[in-house]
Amino acid sequence: MTWAWLIPVLSFAAAPLIVVAGRWLPGKGAFLAIFAIAAGFGIFWLALFGFMGATTATEGCAKVVSAETGAESGPLTCQYEKTWFNAGLPGSEGSVELTWGILIDPVTVVMLGLVTFVALMVQIYSIGYMRGDPRFGWYFAVHALFAASMLTLILADNFLLLYVSWELVGACSYLLIGFWHERPAAREAAKKAFVVTRIGDVGMLVGILLIWREVGSFEMSAAFEAVRSGAMGEGVTTAAALLLFLGAMGKSAQFPFHVWLPDAMEGPTPVSALIHAATMVVAGVYLVARAYPIFEASGTALLVVAIIGLVTALMSSTIALVSTDLKRILAYSTISHLGLMMLSLGAFGYTAAIFHLLAHGFAKALLFLGAGSVLHSTEEQDIRNMGGLRKVMPLTALVFSVGALSLGGIPILSGFWSKDEILLAVSHNRMPVFIALALFTAFLSALYMARAMFVPFFGTLRREQEHVHDAPATMAVPMFLLAILAVGFGFLAINWPGEYIGFGGFVFDHKPHGFEFEIWLGALSILLAVGAFLLAYLFYFRRAFSLDGIRNSLSGLVRVVENKYYFDEVYQWTIDRVVLEFSNFIGLFDRIVVNDVAVNGPANTVRRLGIAMRVHVTGHVYSYAMGMVVGTVAVALFWWLISA
Amino acid sequence: MVPLVYFQLLSAALFVIGLYGVLARRSAVLIVMSIELMLNAVNINLIAAAAHLGYRSVGEVFVHFDGQIIAIFIITVAAAEVGLALAIILRMYRNRATVNVDEIDLMRW
Repeated sequence: MTWAWLIPVLSFAAAPLIVVAGRWLPGKGAFLAIFAIAAGFGIFWLALFGFMGATTATEGCAKVVSAETGAESGPLTCQYEKTWFNAGLPGSEGSVELTWGILIDPVTVVMLGLVTFVALMVQIYSIGYMRGDPRFGWYFAVHALFAASMLTLILADNFLLLYVSWELVGACSYLLIGFWHERPAAREAAKKAFVVTRIGDVGMLVGILLIWREVGSFEMSAAFEAVRSGAMGEGVTTAAALLLFLGAMGKSAQFPFHVWLPDAMEGPTPVSALIHAATMVVAGVYLVARAYPIFEASGTALLVVAIIGLVTALMSSTIALVSTDLKRILAYSTISHLGLMMLSLGAFGYTAAIFHLLAHGFAKALLFLGAGSVLHSTEEQDIRNMGGLRKVMPLTALVFSVGALSLGGIPILSGFWSKDEILLAVSHNRMPVFIALALFTAFLSALYMARAMFVPFFGTLRREQEHVHDAPATMAVPMFLLAILAVGFGFLAINWPGEYIGFGGFVFDHKPHGFEFEIWLGALSILLAVGAFLLAYLFYFRRAFSLDGIRNSLSGLVRVVENKYYFDEVYQWTIDRVVLEFSNFIGLFDRIVVNDVAVNGPANTVRRLGIAMRVHVTGHVYSYAMGMVVGTVAVALFWWLISA
Repeated sequence: MVPLVYFQLLSAALFVIGLYGVLARRSAVLIVMSIELMLNAVNINLIAAAAHLGYRSVGEVFVHFDGQIIAIFIITVAAAEVGLALAIILRMYRNRATVNVDEIDLMRW
């Protein structure tokens, strides 16, 4: 388990190696990145089994010990660290020793599994997808760096290291979204993603520094201990939690920072799969889960998390319903599911959120790889121009349908179990309005997943798409492996009789934390999911009803939703009218006050003084001689007057 | 014996003539000549004063040579100065084909 630090380090090492030596290696060095992440996946299993065998007696491992009763509670947490650097003179007052270390608890372990597995699948898939690209090697180098940063983020045991890797993840996503930087849209999308997430990151940095000021340490365990013991005041805890959540909102594309994620579709499709399933956007959810003791201590913060999550989920699922770009439907679906995870975290559904994170990760990676396969073959993104593709790409159609059904919440597929857990947490811990809207969101998410599945893959095949080919083996195998998980992963939630304690028990603490299932809620969610798929079947497959009637009667609403609630326009207006105007004012101030008055002012004064004073330097001998004469006479007169 | 004041008047007249020459002449050679005139005016003044004081102090015997010594120094320096000044004027003439100081104003702003 102490070897877990090797997982990111291997990928970190692969990235520069590919850049430097890639051109002389077979396959431009792509295999280096894949080997590194595959080795990481191997080490994940070692870490998993090591962790399952560990107890509080294992070196570096401990549980939370209650101060009053001495009872142990919570999950087992193992921490290994080394000194990074000293700020200030060691031993003197105000010196800070900064460490880097890894923290392994159940959430870390499962996240390691998700990230290494999805990254491995995506990289294998990319061999087929990116074949022939002029920057093939560079793609894999950044991919390795991306995975390594995310793995560091997961393993980090202090906020400083977490922040560093957090920013690295942002930088790598910038590079990958703008990978085809010859296209202006890709450049714009990359910039948008970077800038929008940065807004949240500033809040997060302030939150980390606030915690540091209160606790005197960047270490998470110290911060949690301070919250638990009450050393950190109520107000400060709320402020810190909300500031950290600001960072999470940016990265996880929560309302109102969701605008960057749909545009991030400009990158290569496997990158979207990675961003949506395993690396970039789950970082925000992971941060909230990681800092959960801070959030838990503040009811206000959790309520804010729940409300933001609900608003995000509701808003983006409606947009997904009217979007016509296959990748954008999936993007809005991601935003909506991230909103559900946040809602779950805000409703004390910690394990449910993590479980949904994993189930959604596998299904969404699968969907994106399937969408990538479609785009790769047909060069088409608009679902209105697709149809009946199952006849020419049966394999892709099969795995895509599995992903869509899983994410839509059809029973026994993994998405069903995780969504049910979330609904359960919300219904137990939040007001009825939350569960009502969450159920509505679940219905919408099943509906748009069904639409994304029926419209491109079923119905009549188009003539120009009759000769498209199915995915090659390098692309098909990863999709199959992910499909198996999208189907079967959900069974891990159930605590089978015997040894296995269930996913919830594993994540939350080592006591059996039963998998709960409420009949009425389960029945309702099954009814909604199946109903949504049936409805979509009638609408989009059988074409039993025309949608035009609905569209016309709701034309105003549809227009608002189709324009994504005018968020981009509002942002554009804000940038044009507020940010740029203010920048112009600052620029004017700089030019007039700073530049002309403060900097050039003294210089100009000296220059004018020089011009005024140089007129006596005529260069004529007689004028100098005259000066001497007059001066001598003046001095003589002066002496004469004084002595007189 | 001629009173000292006559020598001093002669010296002052020569000095002022020299000064006028320095200020009013355009030719560099004439300016140098005017400077020489001023220097010699000073010499006359010094020697006259020295002779006058020498008589007064110790009867028929010259004992105060200060004025004469300074005059000899001035003559020496003036000789060197003329040599240097004429060399400069020569170079100036070679370069600019003139010794008119009005036209030689390179060292202005």
